[in-house]
Amino acid sequence: MTVIERILSNKVGREVHAGERIWVPLDLVTMRDFGGPNAILEYKENFGDASLFDPNKVAITFDLHIPPRNEKVARNQQICREFAKATGARLFDINQGIGQHILWEHGMVQEGDAIIGTDSHMNLLGAFGAFASGVGTTDIVAGMRYGKFWYRVPKTIKIKLRGKLKKFVGAKDVILWVLKNLGTDGAINRAVEFNGDIIEPIGITGRITLASMVTELSGEIGFFESNGEGEYKKVYEFDVSDISPQIACPHSPNNVKDVKNVAGTPIDQVFIGSCTNGRYEDLEQAAKILEGRKVKTRLIVVPASTKVAQEALKHGLYEIFFDVGAVVVNPGCSLCTTGHPGILAPGERMVSTSNRNFIGKLGKGGEIWLASPQTAAASAIRGEITEPGTL
Amino acid sequence: MIKGKVWKFGDNIDTDQIYPGKYLPLTDKKEMARHSMEGVPEAEKFIKNVKPGDIMVVGKNFGCGSSREHAVVTIKGVGIGCIIAESFASIFYRNAINLGLPVIECPDVKLIKEGDYIVVDPAKGEIINPDKNENYKGLPLSGLELEIIKTEGLLNYLKKHG
Repeated sequence: MTVIERILSNKVGREVHAGERIWVPLDLVTMRDFGGPNAILEYKENFGDASLFDPNKVAITFDLHIPPRNEKVARNQQICREFAKATGARLFDINQGIGQHILWEHGMVQEGDAIIGTDSHMNLLGAFGAFASGVGTTDIVAGMRYGKFWYRVPKTIKIKLRGKLKKFVGAKDVILWVLKNLGTDGAINRAVEFNGDIIEPIGITGRITLASMVTELSGEIGFFESNGEGEYKKVYEFDVSDISPQIACPHSPNNVKDVKNVAGTPIDQVFIGSCTNGRYEDLEQAAKILEGRKVKTRLIVVPASTKVAQEALKHGLYEIFFDVGAVVVNPGCSLCTTGHPGILAPGERMVSTSNRNFIGKLGKGGEIWLASPQTAAASAIRGEITEPGTL
Repeated sequence: MIKGKVWKFGDNIDTDQIYPGKYLPLTDKKEMARHSMEGVPEAEKFIKNVKPGDIMVVGKNFGCGSSREHAVVTIKGVGIGCIIAESFASIFYRNAINLGLPVIECPDVKLIKEGDYIVVDPAKGEIINPDKNENYKGLPLSGLELEIIKTEGLLNYLKKHG
């Protein structure tokens, strides 16, 4: 069995295989400050004051517009708070950070769990061995009331990553390189199993980075399994020993080049954070490059969660960020969100550690280039796209 | 059986092309339907002439991008009876079934041309092009998916069956 077949078989209580449609009992239904209010209004329209299937298994996380940037957002968050109070759903308010990360930190994500949420990067929880899927409003409304959702069990592709990564090359470079090779529909309607030599050394932070960008491959979810023995739709094997730092140029995550081939391109802003690269180890890698230097461009640093921020503070990372000339924002999705402070002016160029660089995502006419925390930090120092090893 | 005239669209049509983000605040379904496919550059003819019962035949990765259900609501709103795609983005696929719109995956979409009149059997995944005397084999919808579509969507289905 593949990993996804094994997890779903355990949930359903019988052996299930790719291609089957099944009802999956849910361990967690989550929504955010965007998407959540609509789901709540539709819930009330359909079910009135009827109770949730299990209030301990419904969570609302505020991670997009925190603190609220206008009255509409404030009202939406109020709708969520009132609903949580009335139904007993768990609420994580504006002081916590990115949904998936805080749910895991609070012990609400366990290996083998089945989870749905309104975030298209919900599936990064595959890094913890949980099954998680981004869904639309109707699935959330149904999940809150009935505690289940139907699912078409996907086939699985395997991606073997052999070798040892060079210095200044990390998980982000690997997943961008995979995107370059497989394309943005490389895993469409498929689960992905990553294995190989690099899975252990990149740690849980690197595995989160890989899993989070399965969405950009149009995949369902990514898992990490050393001995998967299922029936695989396709097996890719890559030796990653020789890859150099990678960057996704505008306006698609698979428009990937070697950083050295676009080095020297002037930039206006750098963003280090997001659900893909906002963990402590990500910030630490950036800080090591930044320490003792000064930025030549705007640098915005955003920890994924308050817990990450506290760790960064404890280990002196905030001091490094402030000394170098960075702005450090409160934990959340920040510059991954259209309409968040930090938007680009027309013609401006930003290097971002996030996962998407679609046209218009951060202001009309702004360009987003996706890279690792190390490449982002080095680029901030020079004010132009820079290979971290060349500083 | 679903019968209708074909409108063709290409690969990687994302939800922002199907229903541009600037219309997200709209809630009236008739008003929402007026902006169906508005972000697709060559969609003018479709927007002016699409009729209830017509069928959309599209390429790869249809409905990629955000999880907004508006993309399904707007297509259903103009009366499209079925979408046939080489592949769908999985969240769009779920949203379509959940809102009662049949969606069929078929590798032969390139053989179907705009203006063709086709007959679709979602339970068998069969597509017939009688004027050209051609048949195409797509993926049949499962019993569960057909039942959800028949009850006009997931919430109605669950209210009936629990």
